[in-house]
Amino acid sequence: MAAPRRYAQSHEWIRLEDDGTATIGISAYAVEALTDLVFMQLPEVGRHVKAGESFGEIESVKAVSDIYAPVSGAVLGVNEDLPKRLESLGQDPYEAGWIARIRPDNPADLAGLLDQTAYDALIAKQSH
Amino acid sequence: MNGIAVWRDGAADGPTNMAADECLAAEAARRGGMVVRLYRWEGTTVSLGAFQSIATARECDAIAGVPLVRRPSGGGAIVHGSDFTYAVAIPKRHAWGAKPQSLYDAVHGAMIESLRSCGVETRLADPDPAAEGAFFCFDRRAGGDLTADHPSATAAARSVKLMGSAQRRLADAVLQHGSLLLESNLDVGPAARHLALADLTGAVGQRPDGWPAWVDEWLERVAASLGQQIEEQPVSFLGTAPLGLAVGRERFAASRWTNRR
Repeated sequence: MAAPRRYAQSHEWIRLEDDGTATIGISAYAVEALTDLVFMQLPEVGRHVKAGESFGEIESVKAVSDIYAPVSGAVLGVNEDLPKRLESLGQDPYEAGWIARIRPDNPADLAGLLDQTAYDALIAKQSH
Repeated sequence: MNGIAVWRDGAADGPTNMAADECLAAEAARRGGMVVRLYRWEGTTVSLGAFQSIATARECDAIAGVPLVRRPSGGGAIVHGSDFTYAVAIPKRHAWGAKPQSLYDAVHGAMIESLRSCGVETRLADPDPAAEGAFFCFDRRAGGDLTADHPSATAAARSVKLMGSAQRRLADAVLQHGSLLLESNLDVGPAARHLALADLTGAVGQRPDGWPAWVDEWLERVAASLGQQIEEQPVSFLGTAPLGLAVGRERFAASRWTNRR
């Protein structure tokens, strides 16, 4: 069974899977805040990213936002269909709207991210 | 931080202006508050949105031969040179930093009030999905764009877009830059020209230093809505030689960036 999601302050979520890989996406709050999404540049497969490094971009009608790697690791794969159906990010951000799979350099790094309670508190603060 | 630092820059080329705007975002994060840069362009320049097609730009005869620069922000292409261009940056944790629309509406809303005091009535536009994919920014209508009634009663009901802005949302800061059309730009073909403030009012109302007459009021209104004061800086932003400017300029000038899509 996959572990619970963890979150970065920059609103990416990450979930450690049973096989030691991790799935990454952006939170429902972030998708809603960006409003109408029009384009997405997926991370580059095979690239090694450092925690906090931009590894993808998403454009809404008004803004381009970077997608940051929540932890360091190698990008194993991306959701190739996602740019063609960006509505998945809003409709199902934690399953069909996944963005990338990585192999974390150190899975223990996920423990340093926000758990659901802490993330809920963050977005509650940012919503006011 | 109590004041909003405002720098007024002279004319620079596209890569320098884009690099300076990115440096401005870093400055906002460093200072922990809003910062503003007003600037001009060295000749007519077209800025493309971060993901616009370079092929479409190259195929547009109306802007043939005009220098191109790709912005870090989204949105459509803008013909600069006869416009008022600004950049505002705030830390991500700023009251207007959580959602794109907050900063957009605040900056544009202040402009509505400033233009009204000069006798120009404008309003925030409703989004028009049908125009979403238009190549030029001023042919698009995003929610919060600044529009005015078309000056001709016989024209289609469509309004005139006078001001549009776009953002780059970074890890610790939000950069928003935008353009208000002062006059139609005659350096480009008719397909790239758009009705401008002067077409509605007969004059732009420039001060002796070249900035529009309503700029100070606009800045004051933005500051007042935050309970802050404007702090005009004694030198230009480029004159401060911001860290990262040279590297950024090189990146924005590179064909790898311009032709990225």
